[in-house]
Amino acid sequence: MGALAWTMMGLALWHFTIFIPDHFWAGIVGAFLGSVLGAILFGLIVNGFSVPGQHATDLGTVLEAVPGAIIGVAVVYVIGLRREAKNPPLGELAA
Amino acid sequence: MTDRRRNLFVLLLVLGLLIASAGVIATKPTKQGLDLQGGVELNYQAQGTKTSPLNADSLSRSIDVMRKRIDQLGVAEPEIQRNGNNQITVALPNVSNLQEAIQQVGTVAQLEFYDWEPNVIGPDGKTDPENPNVTGQHDANATGNVMTLYNAVVLASKQPERLKPDDSREDSLFYAVDPAKKHVFGSGTGGSVRYGAETKAQALLNVPKAIRAKAKVYEVKPGTVILRTEQAAGVKTKTDTWYVLQDNVALRGQDIKDPEQQFDSGTGGDGAPNVTFQFTSKGQKIWQKVTREIADRGSRALGIGSSDPADSNQHFAIALDDELVSIPYIDWRKNSDGIDGSNGSEISGGFTIKSAQALANVLKTGALPLKLNLIASSQVSATLGREALHQGLIAGIVGFIVVALFLLAFYRLLGVIAVVAMAVYALYFYALIKLVPVTLTLPGIAGLILTLGVAADANIVIFERVKEEIRGGRSIMAGIATGYKKGLSAIIDANVVTIMVAFILFVLATAEVKGFALTLGLGVIVSLFTAVLATQAILGTMGKSRLLSNPSALGAGGEKGDRFRIDYMGYSKWFFSFSGVILLVCALALGSKGINFGIDFESGTRINVALNKNVDEDAVRSVLSANGEGDAKVQKVTAKGAGASKFQISTATLKPAQQARITNALQSKYGFAHASDSSTIGPTFGQTIAKSAIIAIIASLLVISAYIALRFEPKYAVPVLIALMHDILITAGVYALFGQEVTTATVAALLTILGFSLYDTIIVFDRIRENVPRMPRAAFSQIVNRSMSEVVVRSLATSFCSGLPVLALLLFGGETLKAFAFALLVGTISGTYSSVFIAGPVLTAWKEREPVYRRRHASIAAENGGVVPAFATAGAAIEVAPKQRARRSGRLTAPEDPDMGVSREEFDEMVRDLHVEPVRGGKGAAVAEPKARPTAPPKPQRPKLDPSADALPEDVVMPDRPETATGKPKTRSSAAAKRRSKHGRPR
Repeated sequence: MGALAWTMMGLALWHFTIFIPDHFWAGIVGAFLGSVLGAILFGLIVNGFSVPGQHATDLGTVLEAVPGAIIGVAVVYVIGLRREAKNPPLGELAA
Repeated sequence: MTDRRRNLFVLLLVLGLLIASAGVIATKPTKQGLDLQGGVELNYQAQGTKTSPLNADSLSRSIDVMRKRIDQLGVAEPEIQRNGNNQITVALPNVSNLQEAIQQVGTVAQLEFYDWEPNVIGPDGKTDPENPNVTGQHDANATGNVMTLYNAVVLASKQPERLKPDDSREDSLFYAVDPAKKHVFGSGTGGSVRYGAETKAQALLNVPKAIRAKAKVYEVKPGTVILRTEQAAGVKTKTDTWYVLQDNVALRGQDIKDPEQQFDSGTGGDGAPNVTFQFTSKGQKIWQKVTREIADRGSRALGIGSSDPADSNQHFAIALDDELVSIPYIDWRKNSDGIDGSNGSEISGGFTIKSAQALANVLKTGALPLKLNLIASSQVSATLGREALHQGLIAGIVGFIVVALFLLAFYRLLGVIAVVAMAVYALYFYALIKLVPVTLTLPGIAGLILTLGVAADANIVIFERVKEEIRGGRSIMAGIATGYKKGLSAIIDANVVTIMVAFILFVLATAEVKGFALTLGLGVIVSLFTAVLATQAILGTMGKSRLLSNPSALGAGGEKGDRFRIDYMGYSKWFFSFSGVILLVCALALGSKGINFGIDFESGTRINVALNKNVDEDAVRSVLSANGEGDAKVQKVTAKGAGASKFQISTATLKPAQQARITNALQSKYGFAHASDSSTIGPTFGQTIAKSAIIAIIASLLVISAYIALRFEPKYAVPVLIALMHDILITAGVYALFGQEVTTATVAALLTILGFSLYDTIIVFDRIRENVPRMPRAAFSQIVNRSMSEVVVRSLATSFCSGLPVLALLLFGGETLKAFAFALLVGTISGTYSSVFIAGPVLTAWKEREPVYRRRHASIAAENGGVVPAFATAGAAIEVAPKQRARRSGRLTAPEDPDMGVSREEFDEMVRDLHVEPVRGGKGAAVAEPKARPTAPPKPQRPKLDPSADALPEDVVMPDRPETATGKPKTRSSAAAKRRSKHGRPR
C-alpha cells in the first residue's frame, strides 16, 4: 500500500512539471520517471527499504514521497541541462 | 465478388445465423451460475503428500475422487474446476447445507491404522507402552497423555526426525502459534481447518497480518504425528484434545475395500451405526500380523500392572485425516494368534447414521491423493440468486434502451441500423452462451451489458468517420465506403486490446470473474461481426434508397464541426494541473482513509440476511454480541426484494458451526424472509487473489504497451502507459475517498477500464498517425491539435456510450454489481479525460523533442514572430493513402468507389495537394501536374503559402535522412521515390 501511495504522489507531482521549461533528460517522460522513481526510492530509503503495508500506510507515508519526487525531477532536469550544454538541440541551432 | 454480392452474402449469413440463434435460444437451457440459482461453492488449496506429490496428475485424480463423492450426494450439474496449479473450485448448485458439503467433498479420507501403545508419546517425550498415564489403558481415547493442540505441537516439535518407510509423511510440518495465547493457527475455514503447513512461510500465512510479527513457528519433523482424540457423535465444535504419536503406520486406507454403513448388531453390539469393511489380500496379511503382535504383547504384559487380564489388552488406533475415529482393543485371550482379516472389520463408536454413511462413502471413493485445505466457501440462497438475476436482466434491458436512444438521437438513420445490429448482436450472443454453454453468472451478465457499449462504440467510430467524409464533400455512398475503410483500423486496434485484457483476466482471475472475462471477450468478437460487417452490408444494400439521399438523415447535415477546434496543447498545462490536483487529493485520501479491502483480500466471513422484522443495526449487533461476535461489522443494506430489513454482517473467518449459530439466533429472533447468504474467505485465498490481481494488471499493461508499440511506434506506448496508470490510480484514489469496498470484481473493473480507456486513446492516436504524413510541414502540436479537433466528438461519444450501460448497472444492477459499476464509471470518466488531455499532450511534448519537429517548430516560430499557431492555418493536408493501397493501380484522381465519382471539393483538394510548391530556399520541386479528367475544373489558384502549412515530404525527412557512403545525402529522386512508394504517394 505504501508503494501505491508513493507512486500516486509521484504521479501527482509530475503533472506540475509541465510548468517547468522542458530541459529534462528524455523530456516529459524523463520527468515522469524521475518523479515516480524518486518518490518510490526516497520512500524506501526513509522506511529502511521496506514497504509499509496497508495498516502502516498513513498521511506521513504519502508525504514521504514529496521530497523524493522533487529530488528525482531535479536530477533529471540537471542531467538534461548538462546534455543540452554538450549537444544543443537541432531546433535551437537552426533558430 | 462485387460489393453487391458481398453485401447480399453477409445479409443472408446474418439472417441464417439469426434463425439458428432463435432455434438455440428456444431449445437449449441457460446454464446459470451459483450466484443466480443458489448453491454452495468451495475453494480448496491442495497440498502434496508422501505418496502423492502435488502435480497435474494428482490434482486430476483428486478431482475425479471429488466428482465421485459429489455424484453420491446426488447433486445435479456440479462443476469442479482446477484453478492455477494448486487450487480446486467446486460449485454445487442447489445445495443448501454448507457444512455437509464440506464434509462430503473435501475430506481427504486418509485412513491409517496405528499400533497404539508402542507409539503414544508421553509428557517426557518418550513412549511408555505400559504406563496408563501415557496410553490411557482401558479408555485410551479419553485419558492418557491427552493435551491441547498447542502443547501437542510444542511436545512434537522436540521429537527428533525418525524417517522410516512406513511413515505417513516424509517432510516436516510447520505450525504457527501465538505463544501468549497458546493458540495454534490453522489454514482453511469451516469444518476442515487444517493445522500444519509444508513450509514456515505457509504456516505464517495462517496468522492474521496484524499479529504475524509476534507469531512463532514450530517444526514437527517426520516420524511424529499429532492426532485429535475421537469426537462424540454429532458434535459440532470439536474438542481441543490431542495425542502425539510416533508415525509408524501399520495399515493404510488402500489396504481395505467395500466399506459400508451398518449397525453394530453383533454379539454385545448396541445397534449403533458403524462402518464395516473388508481387507484386500495384502491388507489381510498385514492385519493378521499386526493384531498377532498386539495380542502377544498383551499376553506378555499380564501381571505387570494389574491382575485383571483386561488391563493388559492392547489397542490399535484408526485415524482418519489426523483425527482418531476409533481405538479398539485386541483381546489377547480370544485372539492370541491375531485376528483373521477374512471377515473384514469395522469402525465403530461416535457415529450417527449420517456420519457413518458419509465415512463409508468417502472410503468407497478412496482417499484423495492430495490434502485439501478449504480456503474459501460461499453459500447463496436460491431466492437471492433469483433476485440478482432479475436485477441483472433489468440493468441489461435499461442499458440496451438508453444506448439505443442515444444512437437514434445522434445518428438518426445510421442509429436505426446500429440499433438493429445491436439487437442482432444480443440475440447471437445469448444463443452462443447457451450453445457453448457458458455458465452465466452475475459478473457475466455485467460483461454482456458492457459489450452492448462496445458494440455501439464500433458503430460510433465508423459513423463519425462517415459523417466527416460526407461533410468533407464526398457523396453519401462514397462517404460510407470511406468511413468503414478508415474507421476499421481504430476499431480493430481497440477491440484487440480489450480481447487481450479479457484473456488475461480469464487466465488469472477467480472463477467468479472468469465468467465476466469470458462474456466480455466473446462479446467483443461477436460485436465486431455485427457492428462492422452486418451494418456495412445493410448500408451497402440501402445504397440506392431514398432514405440515404439526404446527409441530414445520417446526422451529417451541418457544417464540418469546428465547435471543438480548441488549442488542446496550449491548454494542456491546465489539464495537467487538474489531473495533478485530483491525484493529490486521491493520494491524501489514500494516506488518511486507506483502501477498504473486502473479505476477498482481507479474509473473513460475510453473511447477508433478510429479516422479517424492521430492526436497526444495534438490534442485530446485540444478537451477535450474545453469540460471541460482538466485533462484527453490521451494515444495513437498502436492496430491493423480500424482507423488511436487510443486513450485511462481516466478521473474522467463522466456521460453519459458528455461522449457523449466528444465523439461527437471528432467525429465531427476527425471522428470515429467505435463507441467508454467506461467504468465507481464508487468508490463503485472499493472498492468491491479491497476487493474481497484481499479475493481471502488470501483464495487461505489458501486453497493451507491446501492442501499441507494434501497431503505432514505441514512443506512442509510453503516453498510453502513463494515461492508464493515471486512470488506475485515480480510480483507486476515488475508492479511498469514498470508502468504497474493493473486491475481486473491482479488479476486473480496473482491467476493463484499461481496455475502455485505451479505446479513446487509440481513436486519438490513430488520427494522429493518419495526420502525420498529411501535414509534413506542421509542428507536432499542430498535428495533435488538428487530430484532437477531428476526433474529440467520437471520443466523447464512445465514452458516453460505454458509460450508459455502466450507469444502468450502477442504478439497476443490485448490490453485487454496484461496486463493479462504480469502478467502471470512475474509470470511464478518467479514461476519457486521460486519453484526450494526458496521453495526447505527453506524446506531443515527447515527439516535439525529435530533431525533425524541433526544426519545424523553430522554423514556424521564426516565421510567425516567435509564436507557433495552434493550427496549421492555410493549405490543405496532403491526402496520403493507407499503406495497403500503395500497390493499387488506376487513375490518380480515381475515387475510392469507382461508381461514385468525386465531388468538386474533393477534386479541388486533390489537385491542390498535388501542386506542392517549392519552399525553403528552393529545395522543393513542384510535382508534375497530373492529367486531369476531361470533366475536371480548371486548376485553382495556389493558396498563399503559410509557413505552418504542409511542405514537401523531402523537407520533413531530410534531417534524419541517411547519408550515402560518400557522405552526401541521398539524391532526392531515389529517396523521394522510396517515400512515395512507402506512403502511397502519387507517382
